[in-house]
Amino acid sequence: MTRHSDPTQVQLTADGRLKHFLTTEGLSKALLTEILDLADSFISTQERAVKKVPLLRGKTVVNLFFENSTRTRSTFELAAKRLSADILNLDIASSATSKGETLMDTLWNLEAMYSDMFVVRHADSGAAHFIAEQVTPGVAIINAGDGRHAHPTQAMLDMLTIRRHKGTIEGQTVAIVGDILHSRVARSQIHALITLGAKEIRVIGPATLVPKEMADLGAKIYFDIEQGLADVDVVIMLRLQKERMSDALLPSEGEYFKLYGLTEAKLALAKPDAIVMHPGPINRGVEIDSAVADGEQSVILNQVSYGIAVRMAVMAMAMSGQASEQSAVDKTLPNPTSGENA
Amino acid sequence: MSTLTLTHAQILDPSQQLKQFSDVVIVDGLITAITAAGQAADSANVFNANQALLLPGLIDLSAHVNNVASETLAAAQGGVSLLCTQPNSKPIVDTPADVSLLQLASVKANNSQLLPMGALTQGLEGDQLANMYSLKQAGCIALSNARAPIKNALVLRRIMEYATTHDMLIMLTAEDFDLSANGKMHEGPTANRLGLTGIAEIAETTSLAQQLLLVELTGCRVHFSQLSCGRSVDMIRQAQAQGLPVTADVAIANLMFTDLDVNGFDSTFNVQPPLRSEQDRQALLAGINDGTLAICSNHKAQDIAAKKAPFAAAEAGMSILDTWLSMMLTLVNKGELTLDATVNASSIMPAKILGLKAGLQLKQLANLVVVNQNAEVCYSADSLASAGKNSPVLGEPLVGEVQLTFSAGREVYRA
Repeated sequence: MTRHSDPTQVQLTADGRLKHFLTTEGLSKALLTEILDLADSFISTQERAVKKVPLLRGKTVVNLFFENSTRTRSTFELAAKRLSADILNLDIASSATSKGETLMDTLWNLEAMYSDMFVVRHADSGAAHFIAEQVTPGVAIINAGDGRHAHPTQAMLDMLTIRRHKGTIEGQTVAIVGDILHSRVARSQIHALITLGAKEIRVIGPATLVPKEMADLGAKIYFDIEQGLADVDVVIMLRLQKERMSDALLPSEGEYFKLYGLTEAKLALAKPDAIVMHPGPINRGVEIDSAVADGEQSVILNQVSYGIAVRMAVMAMAMSGQASEQSAVDKTLPNPTSGENA
Repeated sequence: MSTLTLTHAQILDPSQQLKQFSDVVIVDGLITAITAAGQAADSANVFNANQALLLPGLIDLSAHVNNVASETLAAAQGGVSLLCTQPNSKPIVDTPADVSLLQLASVKANNSQLLPMGALTQGLEGDQLANMYSLKQAGCIALSNARAPIKNALVLRRIMEYATTHDMLIMLTAEDFDLSANGKMHEGPTANRLGLTGIAEIAETTSLAQQLLLVELTGCRVHFSQLSCGRSVDMIRQAQAQGLPVTADVAIANLMFTDLDVNGFDSTFNVQPPLRSEQDRQALLAGINDGTLAICSNHKAQDIAAKKAPFAAAEAGMSILDTWLSMMLTLVNKGELTLDATVNASSIMPAKILGLKAGLQLKQLANLVVVNQNAEVCYSADSLASAGKNSPVLGEPLVGEVQLTFSAGREVYRA
């Protein structure tokens, strides 16, 4: 009976602008589209000889990774640098927590260094949300993956990939294949796809990896990949972690590949112009056949380059949202980004 | 000789169909007279209840208490006369010496009386039996393993057989730890959406089914503590109809909240057993209203740091004692519980389960509470006597303001 602040609204300013980026759930179509449009504009800057734009000049961004991730961390680092921010990489997984420091202690220490933005990856669902509620006003939180809950920048770079390759997200039939249960990527994709007007979202995998509650999120459940892939426009393959076998969720990689691995034969069931995506890193021969991963329909490497543009977009938007909220709170403070936008 | 006369109280004691405006006379802690209002002999010492409800004091079948002074004061302020404490305090209550320490601390605190439960297994490790008989001799009201796993069904069978031998009350929880492994909340749409590992209903019901079969085998008197699933209530009803010597309770949190309350990743709502679906909550409420279940607080004070963490990393538990009666009366006010059933479930049934005198009886030590049933109350962290400010109802509009509490013949709280 107690009612809390709507978790999906913590990331918005009073006038509906992005100030943190925690989840794709609950964000409007206009706002998601704004992220995609801004990211699109950054893609062109990425092709120039001088890639930097000054939107975050003078700001300090801290990559706060409680879970190891080379790829996501690097793209955030590049994105911050291309926005002209100073960036500090903290690999907390191997430092503070092993010394018994609590998450709150770590945060307070970092705040004392006057950081402006934390990019957070954490093994606990809700960690980014928790940090967003605890930090000093004015500090933006970007969720780089929390437990099984959300990985919104990955989902948005996937949306950008679909939009750039298929023209639009509206009306597309999208299949997400594999370990849906443990996938924060899948959850964030489903929310974004629904808001952006996808026609149908299918989740495909064995019952041990596809919770029936996925239907409550708006996805159709398929246990049979051949039925699930029929006439889809987009195929998103998810990475299969090795530990799923020891958790008794699957018998073996071999049996998984036989049933759910994406081969050319299975892909042929999708529409002829269907694209194949994967959040990476891929396990060749486990969830995807090399011929498909490297094939004509694969856009896996494009996803990586769009990732930087999407991260630049959400970082710029969140920082600007924080600035507008701070100037609304205290009119005497100058808006740090307004001069640069002019 | 000290005499206190409570006047103009609206007495409600479902154990003796007592429902009338009355005066109650307490002499040296004993209830000596319950008369029609205005009929009690004159006394210098009068407490005018002003039409407020006078109920048998609450008896809590499960509270987790580390700081005896603050938590028994929270109980006194909350209208709780007696509270049974789980043995998972520090130190774990698995020897007679630990029991004596708690009893001494309770006497010293001079608040609501604490009735210690002892551990079923040494160190609560679920392996070797604790000195169950010695613990009973030392004054343990019952024995429990405080939600810590019991190693296997064989140990459980031995516990039941040994308890039966010495006619001891044991309290068990129903949880298959393999099935609930690492779960943090009820398995359902909300857990899936939030990406939190779910605890399936079957983690409770398969364990309960197994334990009921062992009760059937051993004839052991068992109280099942903190059931959370609607299906479990049906199983208890069936077992009782079959004549098995079993009773059960539900924590107030499971009557008031559901898994939807976890929506904001609010660690206040991280509890064990987990908050389940609205369907479960309705079935549990029905179990109170038809007299199948008792209600416990399952109070667990946590310090701020223990709760200030992402949901799954936060410690489980809610601070309830200060607000327990108000929470129940709010459910009565909303029409979800009947007042009679509530008093029955939180005082009369617990007394019977524990083998104590139930209700307001002449020549017995007074255990009672006077409460303004309809007075609006709103608790803040500062208003809680409990060391734990992890209450789910801070700032919420509730009803039911405690005026006076007696515990074992002692006045322990007056507003």
